[in-house]
Amino acid sequence: MTSKKSTENGSGDVRLSGIGKTYGSFTAVHPLDLTVPEGSFFALLGASGCGKTTTLRMIAGLEEPSCGTVSLGDQDVTNLPPYKRPVNTVFQSYALFPHLDIFENVAFGLRRRGIKGVKKQVEEMLELVQLGEQARKKPHQLSGGQQQRVAVARALINHPKVLLLDEPLGALDLKLRRQMQLELKRIQTEVGITFIHVTHDQEEAMTMADTVAVMNAGRVEQLGSPADLYENPHTTFVANFLGTSNLIEAEVDSVSGEEIVLKAGDVKLVLPEARCGAPTRTGGKILVGVRPEKITLTHADDAGEIPAGRNRITGTVAATSFIGVSTQYVIDSSVCPEFEVYVQNIDRDTRLVPGAEVVLHWNPAHTFGLDAAQSLLAGTAGSAGVEEEAAV
Amino acid sequence: MALVNWFKRRLVVISGLLTLGYLLLPNVVVTVFSFNQPKGRFNYEWQEFSTAAWTDPCGVADLCGSLSLSLQLAASATLGATVLGTMIAFALVRYRFRARGAVNSLIFLPMAMPEVVMAASLLTLFLNLGAQLGFWTILIAHIMFCLSFVVVAVKARVMSMDPRLEEAARDLYAGPVQTFVRVTLPIAAPGIAAGALLAFALSFDDFIITNFNAGSAVTFPMFVWGSAQRGTPVQINVIGTAMFLVAVLFVVAGMVVTNRRKKQKA
Repeated sequence: MTSKKSTENGSGDVRLSGIGKTYGSFTAVHPLDLTVPEGSFFALLGASGCGKTTTLRMIAGLEEPSCGTVSLGDQDVTNLPPYKRPVNTVFQSYALFPHLDIFENVAFGLRRRGIKGVKKQVEEMLELVQLGEQARKKPHQLSGGQQQRVAVARALINHPKVLLLDEPLGALDLKLRRQMQLELKRIQTEVGITFIHVTHDQEEAMTMADTVAVMNAGRVEQLGSPADLYENPHTTFVANFLGTSNLIEAEVDSVSGEEIVLKAGDVKLVLPEARCGAPTRTGGKILVGVRPEKITLTHADDAGEIPAGRNRITGTVAATSFIGVSTQYVIDSSVCPEFEVYVQNIDRDTRLVPGAEVVLHWNPAHTFGLDAAQSLLAGTAGSAGVEEEAAV
Repeated sequence: MALVNWFKRRLVVISGLLTLGYLLLPNVVVTVFSFNQPKGRFNYEWQEFSTAAWTDPCGVADLCGSLSLSLQLAASATLGATVLGTMIAFALVRYRFRARGAVNSLIFLPMAMPEVVMAASLLTLFLNLGAQLGFWTILIAHIMFCLSFVVVAVKARVMSMDPRLEEAARDLYAGPVQTFVRVTLPIAAPGIAAGALLAFALSFDDFIITNFNAGSAVTFPMFVWGSAQRGTPVQINVIGTAMFLVAVLFVVAGMVVTNRRKKQKA
């Protein structure tokens, strides 16, 4: 794992060792190991019920782990109650104290630790989140975005070693959420505190985090930088949950040097060996994946202009939807019934209407390979376990 | 036609005012007759205006003694029922224990039981225990029947409370005691206050249970009942009006404070 601000000996890292949680016979979190480097912005990404919030609550001390330990730097905090941990949480529903005004909400943590003369600190913190004017209002008098900022200020003022964010933007509308994502990122860079952020929104995780851990059914599926996860998913769950992937079942035809040649029906595809996460043997099955925006769409009449050496699939346009910056096409082909292609609206080819014959082609370097012994649909919107989390 | 329309448009206001009048008329009568100078022993017919009773509220033997006893009882019963009731409410909402469902329903039983039956049963209980009837037996009885009301009022409030608030407090360095005092209690306060007010009113007002279990003690409602047999002193109306005024004063003060807070924030 890499982080710009990580110290050499990792004295402020959050380390989870074999931490797990079971409720009776239900396992919410399978024992997992995770190290979050000091000063990084770390995201736990997954669908509802995947165990990400439970993991966060175990770090906060609000949930007792069934096994394993939580360490902050050199200190084992597994048995410390939440009020003795140098960790603060921004709750999903903000959980602002309704009987206290904004100033007192933010001052709460300082006062409980017996710190005197909190006025200056609180005012500075309210300035940081641009709420200086609202200090004497009650939480219910503020808008959702403002309440969210109060919740962040209330936690940050304590200078915790780690700030935990539990779906902090879930209740905000799309535009405000975008704005708050940038705002949180700015604050994190400014204060340099480790942020651990739980979300089910893959875009949010990728926008904000240095490192993302994708969780599924109580396990970490894959861990890495957003770009790494997106370009090199190791499982179909990650491939489908982060953005969209076109997955084709194919058979290994031959392996030559750094290239694997695959056959899917009568189509021949090339996959760089380095990007294949599955064992390859001639005749074996592999899932070939390609992201929708890597594909170029050419009308069948112009097929001759396609340069050689590219992966090619022929098909017909089944549906198109225009969404401003790009157009999304769904293509029916012999190897994959619903091939998704995103085309930037630079020069729109007006012939690409439903029913048109087209050739899909892409640079073989953009192809990735996955183990075929897993569900093609894991992590897609329709499959079990992935439903939009209700905004509570 | 125009008249009918005028009436239709103001139907809600008119019916509202009529209902309010229905509610307040008895209080008006009490107040008006507190200024009466009755001819005989009974204060049931208007004779002439006088402030005699107001200048000498304790002029009737035993009246102020019974009033003082009633106030003491109401205050003690309120305190006891509020503390116990609040604890019961928290236990019922926050903790899962055996027979929780049963307790939840049993707590309503004293509200449903006919008061006179409960009064007689309580007397039986006290006599069998050999307890001496008086202040303490009344207090025990009052706390008992006020409890259910406090539990209901506080429970509603605690149930609507977000448990995340207490988690947030613990997360922000508040230990269990601090969390309770700084967050739980203030948020539950309106429910607790409502329960306490209800308990005070119920205890101060109670006649039936008190009458059975009072022994030789005489509370204000008992005094009024007793004097009604022989003649009603005007002072009773004075006390009633005074209580009414104090209650109105509290409500108005509360409203003024709330309004001022709202204005400050706006």
